Amino acid sequence: MTSSPDNAGAAVLAPPPASPRSDAIAAACALAFALLVVAMSWSMDRLESQGGSLWTAPGLWPGIVGILLGALAAALLVRSWRRAAAIGWDSAEPNDTPLVPTPRFVAAAALFFLYGIGLVGRGLPFWLGTAAFVAFYVYAFYEGPAGRSRSRRLAMALAIGAATALVVTLVFERVFLVRLP
Amino acid sequence: MFEGLFQFGHAISGFLDPLSIGLILLSSLVGVVIGALPGLTATMGIALMTTLTIKMPSNQALLVLICTYVGAIYGGSRSAILLNIPGTPASAASCLDGHALAKQGLAGRAMGIATSGSVIGTLIGMVFLALFTPVLGDLALKFGAYEFFWLALFGVVIAGTLTGDDPLKGWLAGLIGIWCATVGQEAIYAFDRFTFGNRDLAGGFNLVPALVGAFGMAELLVAAREKPVPIKINPFDSVIPKLVDVTRYWRTILRSGVIGTFIGILPGVGEDVAAWSSYAAAKRASKEKEKFGKGSIEGLMAAETGDNACVPGAIIPVLTLAIPGSAPAAVLMAAMIIHGVRPGPMIMVEAPTFVYEVVAMMLFATIGILIYGLTLTGFLIRVLSVPKPIIVPIIFVLCVVGSYAISSRLFDVWVMLGFGVLGYVMRRAAFPIAPLVLGLVLGDLMEKGFRRGLVLSDGELLPFFTRPISAALWITIVVVIALRFPAVRRTLSRLVPWRTSATESK
Repeated sequence: MTSSPDNAGAAVLAPPPASPRSDAIAAACALAFALLVVAMSWSMDRLESQGGSLWTAPGLWPGIVGILLGALAAALLVRSWRRAAAIGWDSAEPNDTPLVPTPRFVAAAALFFLYGIGLVGRGLPFWLGTAAFVAFYVYAFYEGPAGRSRSRRLAMALAIGAATALVVTLVFERVFLVRLP
Repeated sequence: MFEGLFQFGHAISGFLDPLSIGLILLSSLVGVVIGALPGLTATMGIALMTTLTIKMPSNQALLVLICTYVGAIYGGSRSAILLNIPGTPASAASCLDGHALAKQGLAGRAMGIATSGSVIGTLIGMVFLALFTPVLGDLALKFGAYEFFWLALFGVVIAGTLTGDDPLKGWLAGLIGIWCATVGQEAIYAFDRFTFGNRDLAGGFNLVPALVGAFGMAELLVAAREKPVPIKINPFDSVIPKLVDVTRYWRTILRSGVIGTFIGILPGVGEDVAAWSSYAAAKRASKEKEKFGKGSIEGLMAAETGDNACVPGAIIPVLTLAIPGSAPAAVLMAAMIIHGVRPGPMIMVEAPTFVYEVVAMMLFATIGILIYGLTLTGFLIRVLSVPKPIIVPIIFVLCVVGSYAISSRLFDVWVMLGFGVLGYVMRRAAFPIAPLVLGLVLGDLMEKGFRRGLVLSDGELLPFFTRPISAALWITIVVVIALRFPAVRRTLSRLVPWRTSATESK
């Protein structure tokens, strides 16, 4: 909770921190998703041939959840519209952060997915994929103290990668008896 | 009473073997380190440790998880005091006075206050855990499908209302979590919902990989986004707690312990709310209000006592109702189920000794944080100095391996990645994550309660509203939601003067 310490009980009265544009985008996505959920729930088999009734239909509960989701998303959309009319679409609160990803974030996320989907469980030995991922990440994102040469940075990254791979493999396989991917 | 004491003593003696003591020391240390590292939360720590302890006997695994939980909530105070960055959201309130004391050269004393507050807070919560669980367990036996439906809904609504600055977004996050729980085969006909013919999806989302993603990977993505900055730590004095700090503020400690525990019992409301509420109550009652925010020992003591007292409090509804009191407790509940423990109303009938084992685990966790509170400062400073780009990939490897380890399926790694992206996007759009987790954990219980209730009443909705406990719950939900509407708040402000003054003082 990011409320004021002076008055935690009333803190929820504080204005929301995201900009109206960010809220409107989130609300529109949630609304579209809710409509999809309702449509899919409606089209689910009611299993009347097996003696099913309306209240035992598999789509009843997700349908209700979808309707509530849609109603709240619509409320958020209306609220962001009203706020935009008062303060402008991009008037973010002081603690707001933009949704636009930074190059640093894109590179880190790409490495996460490369490791999680491309390196693990694809035939490459687990320790090798892990060592390569950690070493590359450390080399790419950690500059180290000023004046450190590239070769020293690379050596440090490789050492951290190898140590991580060794410790994780040994701990999971030998201590926790988990088969690694 | 004596029966309970006997079982508690028996539970303590059960953990007095070298392996258990080693596990207590190791997991408390892991918890404190996870808590101290900004960006790594208690929820993430417990989720990761759940995957590590999957092959352990249930008692030892849960001992590890509870020690990690208590350690992480305590550990957050270290970075709050030393860096002015809360290690976990629970320590945000401790930044105000803890770091102010550190700037005055009293960081050691502040850490001592945090240690004594956390230890006493956990002990107060532990006493309530031992006393209230059997009583609530008896009450829970009166709960049927209707009551469980409302109670689960109450948990999600309360979490959505109190765990962020914007209830509307909190409720939306909760509904997304509830929808996620509908994916897979439903309970009556084993009918596949939202699976698109995928056999892995038919089993639904495995809870632990989803939580590791929503908390672990999402937090790592946030950390990866920011360029690391070198940390600056003020010099500090002795970390040994002073007895005078405890004796002088015993009223504050007791009050904060009770507030923390009761906020923990509320479904879905976590340690951060407990800390802020204890802090606010201490300020209201204090004779030294002007010192709050400028290095008040009383303020720091209240926040630290409140958040740690919340931990045992949050476990009470887990044990008696299978409804988690906080996001970390939700993961703990999932771990209990994985290890074959069935939390819920029958626990005092099926496994009465287990409740006292949990109390004993809490006592050992308290001893763990006391030991590290007195000894670990230098080591923690070295850990805090490790650059984020070195920690992030190592934790991510643990997220991947841990998700896979649950059932040796690559699908769970993809679930973790998917929930990681969802958690990150929700964070960026200022949606709270705790209601998502509560929705995911309670969604199944809520649907079962709803559909069973309808089947029992032959489609009649009236019993949902007329049974006494159900009525109390739905009326509370309506009041909680109504209070979020400006018109209702304005009317209340006119009718109740204190509410107006509270809002103005902000």
